[in-house]
Order: sequence, then structure tokens, then C-alpha cells
Amino acid sequence: MSPYRSVFKDETKLDINYVPYRLPHRDRELRLLMEFFSFLLRTPEKMTQRVMITGDVGTGKTALSQRFGADITREAKKRGTNLRYIHVNCREYRGSLFLSLHHVVSIFHPNFPRRGYSAEELLGILLQILDEQKAYVVLTLDEFESLVEREGSDAVYKLTRLQEIRLNKPQRISLICILRSLKAIEQLDASARSTLQSNIIHLDRYSKQQLTDILNNRVSLAFKPLTVPEDTVSLTAELAFSENGNARFGIELLWRAGKYADAEDLDTVTPECVRKAVSSIYAVIRKSDVVSLRLHEKLFLLGIARFFKQNETAYVSLAEAEQAYAVVCEEFDVQPHSHTQLWKYLRTLSTLGIVKTEVSAAGLRGRSTCISLPRIPAYELEKELSNLLQKERS
Amino acid sequence: MNIEDFFSSKVRMKILKILSEVGELNISGIARRLGVNYGTTNKHLKILENEGIVQHKRFGRIRIYRLNEYSPKTKAIQNLLEVWER
Repeated sequence: MSPYRSVFKDETKLDINYVPYRLPHRDRELRLLMEFFSFLLRTPEKMTQRVMITGDVGTGKTALSQRFGADITREAKKRGTNLRYIHVNCREYRGSLFLSLHHVVSIFHPNFPRRGYSAEELLGILLQILDEQKAYVVLTLDEFESLVEREGSDAVYKLTRLQEIRLNKPQRISLICILRSLKAIEQLDASARSTLQSNIIHLDRYSKQQLTDILNNRVSLAFKPLTVPEDTVSLTAELAFSENGNARFGIELLWRAGKYADAEDLDTVTPECVRKAVSSIYAVIRKSDVVSLRLHEKLFLLGIARFFKQNETAYVSLAEAEQAYAVVCEEFDVQPHSHTQLWKYLRTLSTLGIVKTEVSAAGLRGRSTCISLPRIPAYELEKELSNLLQKERS
Repeated sequence: MNIEDFFSSKVRMKILKILSEVGELNISGIARRLGVNYGTTNKHLKILENEGIVQHKRFGRIRIYRLNEYSPKTKAIQNLLEVWER
């Protein structure tokens, strides 16, 4: 087997973070977004805007917003306006307004301290920085649900209303909130809700034909010519369509299929490669969810995955998981965290849907927590986490 | 402050090294890296600021320090650090 032969021209074009120059079947929405924010190119200091983008997983919400961000920033630069597009995934910051805002501030001041002030003060600090730099920000809060869930109406109110009390000062921060459905904001109180719901862009699920166009577009960017037959794209589109029109699933599947083709030293990515890839992929748990876990959450999850790999049982007790975690910690040469911390990590993993926990009344010593991995093959998860942790270590 | 007094402090030299490495930092962050307490760090930062070598920006209760790039003394110290640490 030749180690240098590959069907890929540039596999980064299939990466979850890659934003294509052209977004097939989202032209109308992109134009609409540009229209909503066109004032930023004319009179940025006079007003701010709030837009919500809704749609199911893999409908292009994040890509649409990031494409818009790159386009409007480029346009603003041409006109001499200091406009920054900042994209924050709230889930990565555990839905915390403080941590999300700290991320924004640290773009301007990379070593900004993490302690000693509140989220509201941080918002004030951000406005001070923007005033000093005469800058404007389009702040995108992706996975907005997690922020609403954790912080509730107060945070939304602060974000949307703070600028209104800055009388006679330039407006600085516009918002794009990305969420799957408007249901998430129903729990907000009426005043917070009313500040958000004025402009809504809903992205419908992609049809099979639309998915085929999207995949063909990525194939031309990522693969060498004539390495991906029409049948392969069609099968991938079919599978992505059956996953609720999830384009991201299709793109990840394409990448995996390419990897299978390379591993078998094939000239083309055959439909069989796609079939192999689909049996190994776990679309229900997103790769980004695992990537965004903290070090000890990853180590704990790795312990759980290894337990299930070695034992043919459906459940692991918290005590057993703790033992497995301690072994993993030893392997990675880190001090294990306490039982209470692990309990918190377990809650996070459960909230993300990676593990499932049940409290059983079995045994004489009272209730114990049982953990299961309902939807991910332990083998896959272990491989993914080991790779991630090795990367982090190096 | 005369030059021999100025350069006689290990803490001050370390502060200058830290700020030239990381760009800007708050007092607690500098103190943590130095391994000395807040008060000592604050005292030396004030001396450095009086000499015009560092400057701070205030964000509410937080003061962020950085080297004063416009000061000839700072430039001279940066050159010295660069040559010395090369």
C-alpha cells in the first residue's frame, strides 16, 4: 500500500468548522440576514439589531451565520468601519453568560482575569472596550437554548436592554441568537421574549436534492477529481435525508467514507465505503459535544467507555466508573478529582445526552447510580476520546 | 529612581519579563506568575508606572498593566531583555 495515495485533495473542507464561500440553498436567507444588518454599513452607531435563526440540527444555522459574519465584516472594512463578528457557542461555555462574555472580552484582551466581577460588569467592560476602539460587534450566541436554560430571562434582558440605558452613546452590540426552535424561549418572561422575537429566520430541513447539491459542492472542494462517483453522493444524501435532512451528518459521513477508501487503498470512494462509514458514525452524539468537554469530563467518560468495552454489561455503577476513571487518570498522569466533582461531571454528560443515569434501589446500602451508554458504541467513543486526549497532551 | 536602585529588584525585572512575554495582565495574574503576594506586586508596579515604563488601563475594579511602548526606557529594557534572553 502506498502511504501517500489519498482520495482527498483537501480534507479540511469537510471539517465541522469549515465555512464554504457559497452556501447552496441558503442564498435567500443570507440576503435576508444582510438586509437586517445593512444599517451596520451605513450608520452603525445609530441602532442595533437582534435576529434569531432557528432550524433543526444540520440545517446550516451556524454556517449561515458565519458566512454572513465574514461577508459583512469584509464589507465594513472596505467602508472603514471597525466591525467585528464574534461567534460564541453557549453550550461550550456551559450556558453561562459570564463565561460567554468573558470569551468575547478575551478576544480584545487575551489575558483578561476570570474572577472578581459579575456578568453585568463584564458587559459594561465590553462596551467600554468597544467605545475606546470605536468598534461594533455582531455577537452570535449559538446554541442559545443552553444560555436560556441556565440563566433565564435576566441574562437575555441584560444582553438586549443594557445598551438602551446608554443614552446619547453609540450603539455597539447587535445580536444573532441561534437555536433549534422557539420553544426554548417560551420559558422567558414576556419582556425578555419581546426583545428577541422581532426578526426570525427559520431554516427548513434540506430535501434530498438539496443535500445532493451541498455534498457535490463539498466533494469538488475536498476530493480529487473523479474519486467520488455519483452513486456515492446519492447514497450519502439519502442517509443524511433520513437523519432529518442533516447536512452536517452527510458531510461527516463523506469524510469517513473517504478515510475508509484511503485505508483500503482504493481509487474511488465507493458506496460500500459509505456503508462502512455509516455503521461507525454516531450522529446522535455530535463530535463537537465531546470536543467541548473539560479534561476531567473526558477522562471520566473515557473510563466509562473502557469499562463497557471490557465488560459486556449494560450498566456501570458510579463506584465502578470512578475506579475506571482513576486508572485513566494514572495513565494520563493527572490527579483524580473528588467524588463530588465526578457527580457534577456525570450530570453534564447526562445533560448532553452522552450517558444516561438511573438511580437504582438495589443493594442493602441504599440507592446507587447506574450509568449507561445508550446510543454510542463504547469502542467508537473510546477511540475518539483517546485521540482527543492524546492531542491535548501533545 | 536611579538606575542601580531600579535594576536591583528581582521582582521588577520579573514583572518586565512577564509583561513583555504576555503583553498585558492584571495585578493578581502577575502576582500568581511571580509567586509573590498582591501587595508586593502592586508596590513594584507603581514604581514601574512612576518611571513611565508600564501603564495601566482600568476596567471597573480591574487594572490591566502593559509595557508603555512609547517610553524610551521601556524600549531600552525590551532591547536588553531580548539580547539577554536570546
